Amino acid sequence: MQQWRAVGDERLLQYVVRRLFVTIPMLLGTMSLVFFAMHVLPGDPCMAMLGDQATGQALNDCTHQLGLDRPLLVQYGDYLWQSLHFNFGYSLLNRYPVTTYILQMLPYTLVLVLASTVVAIGIGLPTGMLSAVQRRNPLIDYTARVIALLGLSMPVFWFGILLLIVFSLHWDLFPLIGGGDLSTVVEMIGSGEVFVYPGDFLAAVFDVLHHLALPALALGFTLAATVSRVARSTMLEVLNQDYIRTARAKGLRERAIVYKHALRNVMIPLLTIIGLFVALAMTGTVLTETVFTRPGLGKMLVDAIEARDYPLAQGAITVFTMIIVTVNLIVDVLYAAFDPRVAYK
Amino acid sequence: MQSQTQYTGNSRDGCVAGGNMPIALGVTLIVLMCVVAIMAPVLAPFNPSAQSSEYVLKGPGPGGHHLLGTDEYGRDLLSRIIWGTRVSLQVGLVSVLVGFGLGVPSGLMAGFLGGTTETAIMRLTDMLMAFPTLLLALLIVTALGGSLVNEILAIGVALTPHFVRLAHSLALTTKTHDYIMAARALGGSSLRIMLRHIFPNTISTLLVVATLYIATAIRTEAGLSFLGLGVLPPTPSWGNILSEGRQYIKDCPWLTTFSGLAIMLAVLAFNLMGDALRDVLDPRLRGE
Repeated sequence: MQQWRAVGDERLLQYVVRRLFVTIPMLLGTMSLVFFAMHVLPGDPCMAMLGDQATGQALNDCTHQLGLDRPLLVQYGDYLWQSLHFNFGYSLLNRYPVTTYILQMLPYTLVLVLASTVVAIGIGLPTGMLSAVQRRNPLIDYTARVIALLGLSMPVFWFGILLLIVFSLHWDLFPLIGGGDLSTVVEMIGSGEVFVYPGDFLAAVFDVLHHLALPALALGFTLAATVSRVARSTMLEVLNQDYIRTARAKGLRERAIVYKHALRNVMIPLLTIIGLFVALAMTGTVLTETVFTRPGLGKMLVDAIEARDYPLAQGAITVFTMIIVTVNLIVDVLYAAFDPRVAYK
Repeated sequence: MQSQTQYTGNSRDGCVAGGNMPIALGVTLIVLMCVVAIMAPVLAPFNPSAQSSEYVLKGPGPGGHHLLGTDEYGRDLLSRIIWGTRVSLQVGLVSVLVGFGLGVPSGLMAGFLGGTTETAIMRLTDMLMAFPTLLLALLIVTALGGSLVNEILAIGVALTPHFVRLAHSLALTTKTHDYIMAARALGGSSLRIMLRHIFPNTISTLLVVATLYIATAIRTEAGLSFLGLGVLPPTPSWGNILSEGRQYIKDCPWLTTFSGLAIMLAVLAFNLMGDALRDVLDPRLRGE
């Protein structure tokens, strides 16, 4: 038994190492793509910074100062080397270190992704399961599928604007812009002040949630469709399994069958879409943060592209892909750990 | 008993909630969109770019001059949405064609030939798949600059890895069939087998998925235009109408409401169509 386990662990380790070796060239490839795409840009960052009236001399000085007159390959090598150290250079516009900028924005995006995941699962899982369990009830199944289709078809930026019109402008219940005082929350947790001033901390948390509610609802609802569809089809599959028939034969009530036996088995296949889900959610943040004028990586990326701020845009896209690639790696490894057959393949 | 349960489940799954209504709705909406796009010059009551200082930000209403109201330059919103249909449909269809044209041959080649070709193509695909569609399109369109052609290219390239993956897996399954072995035994070249045997046997699944990707392409186009990276104004596209209307959401919500509705209906139409086609042509994909 012990020996079997040791062999299994070794296989898993081999799988993890193999998977890591695939991830590294992939990251390198995506980073190269980002670099070269950004550097064949037709716009000139110095022109964007100094304006149309800038003299040739000023433009040359600026180009030299930013290191943009170096050969492309030298810039490329430098970018890769610095990125390895999580150093993405300085923003061209305000000379602020890109890494610091990203670290400031990252919590806003992560909180949004997390909150919208909660919304997506909260809406998607029950509707998907209900639609499968009640598939003989056309009204319920149809309503659940229509909700899923609407979520799939409704662009997040439009749904966001509708929410803003109704809840912020008409009823004035939620703020129109901003991301709340997340930095205070993070700082208070970091410094331990949360225990000294619990009142202030709660106020800051409330402020963050107040700003988060509409963006999370907008993004979460559009993502719920994916969860709902997978939950529905998995549930339909699970309900046809032998163990469900056995549970029915034992005389269990339908409720017990659904919650005790089917639900757990639906959750595992749902894990497989985590990679896809995170990719969708991260993309969604670009549009959601723009609509709600909310700070975050996505908004930063759009602003950087508009301003032709290479290092900032490069850094943002690199971090985006790093997150997605890492999540996929973790999901694969977890999967191999749970299901030994994967590692043996 | 088991088969009966399964049969009932599947038939309900496909028919009760499905029925003919979704496909009818999808087809109607798509036909309507095509008619509107083709007949835009006739159907649009005004020139979509014609400005009028008299009618700035007028609200919608059946009695007035402008059924859906006007924007900040006094341009007729209905006419702009009608002309915007052209952009959305063009981008949706042509970019999927680009993605299909680039992705399917590469995927079929990777799946059928195997070896180094497969490794090279699939590793490149994995790399591109690390970028979500919008992000990849965003990157490409930023590099190329915003215009209709660049947007189509960007979305087409961003969709390519999805077609490569699908074609690759379909080729892998198809090539194990006996008739492929027979074709090989008869001396058929790889190219001939791919063109005459593998491709025709994968086309139905590929077409179903292509329909679903038209929805993705239209949504991505709207997203890019919304971010100001799509078709350049004054050419109307649903995304840039919505984006321009954003600053007036307080007093003139019709600008964002109607343009967003157009995007949603178009995406919904292709999603419905794709779903229905999938159920009819390829039950294996049902629920995915």
